[in-house]
Amino acid sequence: MKKLHIDDDRYGTPPQSVLLEAVMNSVNDLVRRRFTDSQLPWSQFVFGASDRLITKADFTAVEKQLLDTGYRFKWSAVISQREHPDIYCPADGATDDAASFSFDHPDALVGEPDAAGRAACGQGENVVRRQSNAIGIARYIRSSERVIEFMNKGVPPGSIAIIDDSGGTLTAPILEHFAGIVCAGGTIRSHLGILAREYGIPCLMNARLRGIRDGDRVELESSADAMTAEAYFTGVAKTASIWKLAP
Amino acid sequence: MSRPDISYSQLLETNNLIQNCGDETYWLCLTRTVQGSKLFPVSAYILFSYLNAFYRYPALLRKIEASMPAETIADRARTMGMKIQNSAIGWALPNFYLLGRELLITFGMLRPQDALEDVVYVMDFWKRYLLSWHRNDGHLTNREYGQRAQILPDRRLEVFHRDLYLCEPGDALHQVAHSFLATASQYGFLISCESRISLTNSGPYRLDDRHEMIVRDFMDLGECALPWLDGVAADVPYNYLTVPMSVRDCHFSIVDDWGSFESKPEFTSDKLAGIGLYTSDALSEGFVPVGMGSREELTATFQSLNERMKEATHKLWLRIAGWTRDQMLDAGALTYYNIIKDLAHVAGVFAVEDWLTIDPRAERFRPLFNDEFSDQLLGSLVVGHDLPSHRQSPYTMMQHSDRPVRTYTPLPYSVLAGDEYVASCGEPQSGTSNLVPKIDRYRTTQGVLTIDEYNRRARAFTPELCQEKYRFLCETWVKYHHQTPLAQDLYRLEQRQSRTLQGKGAGPR
Repeated sequence: MKKLHIDDDRYGTPPQSVLLEAVMNSVNDLVRRRFTDSQLPWSQFVFGASDRLITKADFTAVEKQLLDTGYRFKWSAVISQREHPDIYCPADGATDDAASFSFDHPDALVGEPDAAGRAACGQGENVVRRQSNAIGIARYIRSSERVIEFMNKGVPPGSIAIIDDSGGTLTAPILEHFAGIVCAGGTIRSHLGILAREYGIPCLMNARLRGIRDGDRVELESSADAMTAEAYFTGVAKTASIWKLAP
Repeated sequence: MSRPDISYSQLLETNNLIQNCGDETYWLCLTRTVQGSKLFPVSAYILFSYLNAFYRYPALLRKIEASMPAETIADRARTMGMKIQNSAIGWALPNFYLLGRELLITFGMLRPQDALEDVVYVMDFWKRYLLSWHRNDGHLTNREYGQRAQILPDRRLEVFHRDLYLCEPGDALHQVAHSFLATASQYGFLISCESRISLTNSGPYRLDDRHEMIVRDFMDLGECALPWLDGVAADVPYNYLTVPMSVRDCHFSIVDDWGSFESKPEFTSDKLAGIGLYTSDALSEGFVPVGMGSREELTATFQSLNERMKEATHKLWLRIAGWTRDQMLDAGALTYYNIIKDLAHVAGVFAVEDWLTIDPRAERFRPLFNDEFSDQLLGSLVVGHDLPSHRQSPYTMMQHSDRPVRTYTPLPYSVLAGDEYVASCGEPQSGTSNLVPKIDRYRTTQGVLTIDEYNRRARAFTPELCQEKYRFLCETWVKYHHQTPLAQDLYRLEQRQSRTLQGKGAGPR
């Protein structure tokens, strides 16, 4: 078998991820085989023969090799799991209309209700410091169906969106109607954080939450100091609290 | 091939540009963003776009330069708000290409010296373009200028500044302008399939001790080269909108090579002190005022645009929600890949086949790009730096991370000593797309045109301010010649459509 340039890498080490290493090894093996079979010098293989000899079917086979071991991929876009449930992990808990669902982050700072019935149920990073805290009713937004429901019925006044998508597209048609946003991911520089700032909506990003259910009355500490780029770079934690309030 | 027609100094410079791009990419990706989308398979389409960029950018940039040199396009870029600023050219052009190259090196499908002449050419195009575009601030990138972009000349800034309508929290213009900025940003993210590449900012520019101005551009808003806007954006009357915005007691501390800003204190709408609105494109005489005749007209214009963009957002969202994964993958990949397509519009050589299809050499990788592998690979590629190609001598300390890694593999100098290499990846191959084909309708400042007509007019058009008579009348020349008739002509040209400065010329400051 002919060698590739990567076979003589003095410093290269495998990636930390087992998945990455497995796929990279398979792709490298594929290229090595095709190069050897071509019986061509590399200069004729690289942008000539390899364009024809390394095919889509080859990469399908690389994926199949992994799937044949029983491995199933984690999904990040709902469409991926819906179209290909055979190759992705199940979508358990992905629906947001289940009254029983709640985020359950192990690092969420939680506590018992105080005298006023206010119980800590997590913390996040404040996008913009505001004069006062935001209070409203938690509404999970985790699917296109939920967005369409709110497009048709309207977002109830005083709703706080609880989102696990730090992007700015899933909630595009309805975002401006929320009184507050809590995102269980991203940073204040994520698209959702940028949009919250533009709309002037109180927003906590990268939130670690536990025990908030759809319909709960919640308070966001949007009066806390805002997170900064310097704090991200130096690893300084700046958090704002989230409380569940008595109904 | 051996003994390239490329010198040692060219390789040295190319590797310097590559290294700077790598250092900046790491910083931007580490500090500026963490994205997750449940709607789009973002990491997958990003990787897909990098490969398409690698296989096609060199040939397409050469095609563009056969019609118009990079420096000339960049001169024009300073007179309009098209997608030929940051992040499109300032960051994406070289980095999408280099990230595609790095992927292929990691896959074992490319050696560091392969496509050598392509790499040198792409980086040289980028350098020439940016030096020209940044002519007034004298830097190559915003990074080099300490995260700042002072692109525009005095005469244009004076018009933007003097024509601003002042506004205060609570008044009608302030309220509707704030709402417009949010709506346009929201629409921009959706147009661009969950990326920020339809939005950019430049500046800041000092107005006085308490006020700064930044220039905000919103791009690809109407029916344009993004086929998913056909129909849904038919009622959006402008494809490019530029919003000069003054703020009070707020310093823009970072305007980066992605066109994003940060300020101290955090910019909030109550700091908005003045606003203007313009459109422009490859066929316009610079920036054309929109609704700037009176405060009331501007308020009504923002309101109308707000409503039209919200309507387009709803329609587009419903269209996207019905897409297959392959359609989302193509739309996202093409949005990223064709981020530099406006170079072709200005040069009058835009072709659907060039900018709206996936090259088969990239297409073959589609089965690899499931969500999990893509998320991990993209993270490793831009920030994690734990792919084998990233690793360097253990003595090495990368800028920002201090780790023995680098983002990009340099070109090896050994080719100058006779090591064999391959010059180019060749011409684009006939591509494909899973999207509904683009309707031949492009919104311009000269009306809705077919692409052939748009190209024809672009090739025939030179804005007056870009004609040879004025092209090299730089800020240094103006400083010492502002009283000459030629300087008066130059300023009056810029002031043609100004409501406050028309005909005033270049008076003393």
